[in-house]
Amino acid sequence: MKWLLITSALLYLSSFRRPVFVLALSCSLIYLASRGVGLGRLPLIGPQDTLAFFSCSIGLMALPFVYSRGLSGDRFFAWGCGALAGLFALFALPFPTLNMPLPPILDTYWFELHVALAFFAYALFGLAALLGVLYLRREERQILDLQYRAALVGYSFFSLSMVSGGIWGYYAWGTYWLWTAKELWTSILWLYYSLYLHLRLKGQVWDRPFAWLGIVGFFVTLFTYLGVSMLMRSSHSF
Amino acid sequence: MLKRLYTTLCSLSLGLWLLAGVMLALAVGSFSRASSEGGGLNEMPLFYFLKEAPLSFSWWLWICVALIALLCVNALLCSIEALRKKGRSIAPHLMHAGFLLVVIAHLISAFSGFKQQMQLTEGGSIGFPDGERVQVERINFEMGQMGMMKNYRAELRVGGAVKEVQPNQPVFHKGFGIYLKHVELTPAPVAIVEIHREPGAMAALLGALLFTAGNVMLLARRKGK
Repeated sequence: MKWLLITSALLYLSSFRRPVFVLALSCSLIYLASRGVGLGRLPLIGPQDTLAFFSCSIGLMALPFVYSRGLSGDRFFAWGCGALAGLFALFALPFPTLNMPLPPILDTYWFELHVALAFFAYALFGLAALLGVLYLRREERQILDLQYRAALVGYSFFSLSMVSGGIWGYYAWGTYWLWTAKELWTSILWLYYSLYLHLRLKGQVWDRPFAWLGIVGFFVTLFTYLGVSMLMRSSHSF
Repeated sequence: MLKRLYTTLCSLSLGLWLLAGVMLALAVGSFSRASSEGGGLNEMPLFYFLKEAPLSFSWWLWICVALIALLCVNALLCSIEALRKKGRSIAPHLMHAGFLLVVIAHLISAFSGFKQQMQLTEGGSIGFPDGERVQVERINFEMGQMGMMKNYRAELRVGGAVKEVQPNQPVFHKGFGIYLKHVELTPAPVAIVEIHREPGAMAALLGALLFTAGNVMLLARRKGK
């Protein structure tokens, strides 16, 4: 079924029109569903599955924004979302699929909830970054409001992911917190978006730094997800 | 003088700087040997580690603890100030309260948490502070198709009853959690068991629930705005 992932990547990368974007998302959803049915669980283990899941999350979370009133005619934004989702689908391709059953410690709904919510959050942080770029190009406050909304919903998903991860950790390892690189960067990301959301209270003088902060946040997100998993040793490493 | 200190302590700017400071300290700490496997930080309660570890090893943690303490004061005072003014939503303050409870939970665990690992064969036992012993009666496992262990569990005799411990399903007894980490098969089945006491867990859960309630209220308030 890897052809579905390739098709979704190619469609995402050419999604200047919204129906193409929806088609790409459909392919990506069918791919993940087929993996899920084959494995009997959510495909969330290893770089291939997580990158494909991340790509699909970006498509899914972008849908309300692509069809929102403020951005409905904006081809740059629809293509930007598609390019972001397509890029991660392409990154997933070289990695092998891991078709093994879940190790007993991961075989719990808390784990699936924890990881899925984190990817929804990462996707929304990515969209917030794209909206930041769009705001810097156009200087329309409505776009900044959308960026704030994307980041706020992403922050909510991320907080829930941390809560479910804590509950899982308590039942799996006896503690809701471990001092490892991944947990530290997860906290950094959470604090970063706490700072971002609070900065909004400073008023309109801070609009441009606010937009920039939304852009930089996605790089912190990528380091938390990929950088830490690949460069630092942690219980979350691939 | 005191008024100026109070105004500074409850200012948004101070909160933002403190958030940035904590992030920086944690980022430095993530590259430290203390937070790596074998660094010892996960093997003992935080304050015991801070007391024992050399400052060159733990300086970033001291900074982190100090900044978080200030951040807690800042969040508390901000909420008190905002609640004094009528007509304000309570959502952000529930989130602040949740955050403060989670920090308190960490504080409780940092003082009186406990962790110990042991290897037990069938018939081996775990001793509790009051002299009671919990015995491992049987160690069971299932092998999967690829030669990996699909599942493993151990039967424990706790008091008069037999309870089963397996991954993600610890047995709780007298304030301690008994966790089955792994099972070794040769030469005889051995259960790798960890005993944990996490006294801050309930406060952390309560904090998480408060935070989530505030977050949901905030989302509902921002809907369509």
